[in-house]
Amino acid sequence: MSFSSPFRAGVRAAVPIWIAYISTSFTLGIAANAYGLHLGEIVLMSASVFAAPAQFAALEPLASGKPALQIFLVTFLINLRFLVMSAALAPYFGRVKRSTLLLSSHLISISTFILPYVHFQKQSSELAEAERIEERGKDNFHYFLGLAATSFSVWVVGTGVGYWAALHVPSGFEEGLKFLLPGYFACILTAELKGKSALLIVMASFLAAVPGALLNTDWGWLVAALAIGTVGWGIEEWIQRGSR
Amino acid sequence: MDPARIAIILGMGLVTFLIRAVPQLFFAGRSFPEAFERYLRYLSYALISSIISTNLFLAGPRFEGAAAPHRALALAVAVLVASWTGQPLLGMVIGTLLAQTLPWLGVTW
Repeated sequence: MSFSSPFRAGVRAAVPIWIAYISTSFTLGIAANAYGLHLGEIVLMSASVFAAPAQFAALEPLASGKPALQIFLVTFLINLRFLVMSAALAPYFGRVKRSTLLLSSHLISISTFILPYVHFQKQSSELAEAERIEERGKDNFHYFLGLAATSFSVWVVGTGVGYWAALHVPSGFEEGLKFLLPGYFACILTAELKGKSALLIVMASFLAAVPGALLNTDWGWLVAALAIGTVGWGIEEWIQRGSR
Repeated sequence: MDPARIAIILGMGLVTFLIRAVPQLFFAGRSFPEAFERYLRYLSYALISSIISTNLFLAGPRFEGAAAPHRALALAVAVLVASWTGQPLLGMVIGTLLAQTLPWLGVTW
């Protein structure tokens, strides 16, 4: 069995993603262990969800037996970004069977979206008129598959290895383990944040979450976050319309 | 393994799969209004920062007041390191080390 050249190119392009995934999935495995989840549960989650922020976010609610509806809602809202990513990638896979596309859409994550998307955009700007994007759909798809399938495998295996490693951490490191999840989120958020509005929304949500959770353990912080995100966005839209 | 947890995890997987798969069927090639994309981004920022706060300062329904200053300091340092170096992982590692060692050092507030 031999893999096509675009597939191999995708695998080569995925190496930086693997490096990032090894550390993050390892951290997820350790955090899952700290929250008392079973190895099979966190590996299943990595395989079926494959989305770091939503997985990290689900650990505490799962461990403390929060309502399933709340976990689904948070998962939905955090992962809603995939809607835009999946729609943006789809036109580059022309002439690939829909059933194949549906199955492979499971492999879309922030990292496995950005690299192929930039690659396809660059490629399409270099293509001659006759060689349209649609005609390259299968090559593009194989490139995506090489990149995303291997990254997915690294993610799932890394989670299990991280969990296993956490079993060998002696007691007395609870503070460090507790910090892993919020620390990971905060540092990722720092790298991603752009603009004053986003920063204000983050600060306000951070400050309102604990009082919200103390008022209502299950829904308080969630309602506060949704309200702040919506109001912050609404105010920014209003200001922008006023200045046009 | 807890069957209820397994069901929730599979439900999370289904929710996420639908979000990823639906555009392949209905929205291929369609770009969303910039304002809508920004709204989704802001919602996820708000949710993630709320999760940071509740995970850091709460143990179930209880506010962990004694540990809060250590953790807040470790978080601030982690964010600064991540911001200055552009390396989130480095920030997280330093923050984790700090969160672990401050109580050991007996630093009180």
